[in-house]
Amino acid sequence: MQNARVSSVLVTGGRILRAPVTRRTWAELAYVIAGAPLALLGAVYVVVSFLLSAGLAVTALGIPLLAVAIPGARGLGRVRRGLARVLLEETIVAPAPFRPGRDVFARIRAGLRDLAGWRAVAYLVVSLPGSLLGLAMVLAFWAWGVIAFTYPIQHALGINQMTAPGRAGGIRHGLVVGGVVFDTWPRLLVVCAAGAVLVLSAPWVVRTAVLLDRLLVRGLLGPDGTSARITELRRTRAHAVDEAAATLRRIERDLHDGVQARLVALGMNLTMAIETLDGRTSGATRGMLVTARDNAKEAISELRDVVRGIHPPVLDAGLDAAIATLAARSAIPVDLRTEITERPSAAIETIAYFCAAELLTNVAKHSGADRATVEVTARGGRIRLRVADNGRGGAGPTGGTGLRGLADRVATVDGTLDTDSPPAGPTVITVDLPLHA
Amino acid sequence: MRLIIAEDAAILRDGLAQLLTLRGHEVAAVGDAAALRAAVGEDPPDAAIVDIRLPPTHTDEGLRASVELRRRFPGLGVLLFSQYVETRFVDQLLAEGSAGVGYLLKERVVDIDDFIDALQRVASGGTALDPEVVTQLMGAGRRTKELGALTPREREVLGLMAQGRTNAAIAKQFVVTERAVEKHIANIFTKLGLTASDTDHRRVLAVLRYLERR
Repeated sequence: MQNARVSSVLVTGGRILRAPVTRRTWAELAYVIAGAPLALLGAVYVVVSFLLSAGLAVTALGIPLLAVAIPGARGLGRVRRGLARVLLEETIVAPAPFRPGRDVFARIRAGLRDLAGWRAVAYLVVSLPGSLLGLAMVLAFWAWGVIAFTYPIQHALGINQMTAPGRAGGIRHGLVVGGVVFDTWPRLLVVCAAGAVLVLSAPWVVRTAVLLDRLLVRGLLGPDGTSARITELRRTRAHAVDEAAATLRRIERDLHDGVQARLVALGMNLTMAIETLDGRTSGATRGMLVTARDNAKEAISELRDVVRGIHPPVLDAGLDAAIATLAARSAIPVDLRTEITERPSAAIETIAYFCAAELLTNVAKHSGADRATVEVTARGGRIRLRVADNGRGGAGPTGGTGLRGLADRVATVDGTLDTDSPPAGPTVITVDLPLHA
Repeated sequence: MRLIIAEDAAILRDGLAQLLTLRGHEVAAVGDAAALRAAVGEDPPDAAIVDIRLPPTHTDEGLRASVELRRRFPGLGVLLFSQYVETRFVDQLLAEGSAGVGYLLKERVVDIDDFIDALQRVASGGTALDPEVVTQLMGAGRRTKELGALTPREREVLGLMAQGRTNAAIAKQFVVTERAVEKHIANIFTKLGLTASDTDHRRVLAVLRYLERR
């Protein structure tokens, strides 16, 4: 019992003594020192951008400027998160990326409503006093601590000395605090001890200063509760979508390698049976065998269509090859332009492929067009499929053309389907998808 | 005929070998592209039946081996077969000429007479394309102005020519006389601007124009 207490005191004592030289202490010190100018910069950013916006509010520029400045604060937030990750080993998940709208007005609206941006602004404002005070405290403890701790050496070397009149009329050299001159050895040791206390307590001061900022970073620079949940849902949905695509792919393989091969073999066996039996049995038996073989052939061709509906094998060669095959198969001449610099995930490729297939079928069936254009461009994290025709127009989600079903399918991965189809045409349908679910 | 089959699915490979043997052909069978190269290199047969997707990657090993073998053995007929029509394979296959090549869907082996007919055409330097392949290319072919000038019946005739059918076979299919087919073909040549220098050659040219323009 006694021993345990002694050893725990020793451990605590050791920790206190070692604290000034641990990696954690130095990292936190670096964080406080680097954080102060960043905090200043952030505050300047907020003040300048908000004042400018206010000043320009009477013109058309004020609100747009604010709409840019708010999401812009995320950038400084990102720097802070990076600093916290590297120096504090504090990993804060970034909030969901800013999603600007497609036109200027949507962009302004999104900017003004950017919750993560507002939270970053709040952080920049709120963290400033703490950061500066923290820096001051830290410097005071460390600087004064080191100076006092090493004062006996400085005194011996004659540096950092103040002078005071001695009681005997002479001049005394030493540290003068509140009229007391520290120049004798016992007094120098007191200074030294005070320095040691300051140095030993400096790590805890730093830790406190960092703790404050750590809480602010956690609270304001991470995703808020709702958006964390959204991020999580989006992640699991992407997983589910990819998983479903992989499952379909596997089913296609199994059908292809197993069932289809067996059906072909069955057909061949029936053929052999017919040939072997020829002339030796009644016409009725032969007729049954021929019917069986024809059924096998039908089954093969139906299975091929089923497989094509599950996962078109041609997609293995990439979306551009698959859409080229679609365009080639179309009943209406198709001008095809593809520019796919970045390959989308399998699930997205499948959705884009089926959209293209359905839209081209619509063109052939409903539009009365004699030309169609298909454009596929994948860049900047999005893929855009545009199918245009010169037909009679008037296509819409209610027209029984399956457009609603397509839009629903596209929406499962946060994509959009825009229909521009005035009466008398032409029809342009644009599908916009993320590259990854 | 002396034939070799390169197909990785044992059930298809053995069944087809059995069926062709039953029809009196001499058949060897291998399961991958390396074995195909070795076997053909040792003793070139009349024709090879090659699955486009072979181990190990199951992408286009069979196609690549076929292109290579045809360079080494120009007289070798190659009949590729696959589960689906993939037009990009047709392009690569026909890139070095359409003589002695064929491309059929696997299921065509069920109609063994047609299949052997196609094999014989390929072995003797002709062409055999699956109707499905031709349909796909046909859809694409409509784009060009020249082919657009053809009547539907003429396009059908051209499609059958592309499959490698003879005039007699085309006449039988449409239940018309061979004379009528010849007339259609003459119209096709005129509309495609192919002058009468060598009839057989024009036939190939017409088919190639039909296949290439898309």
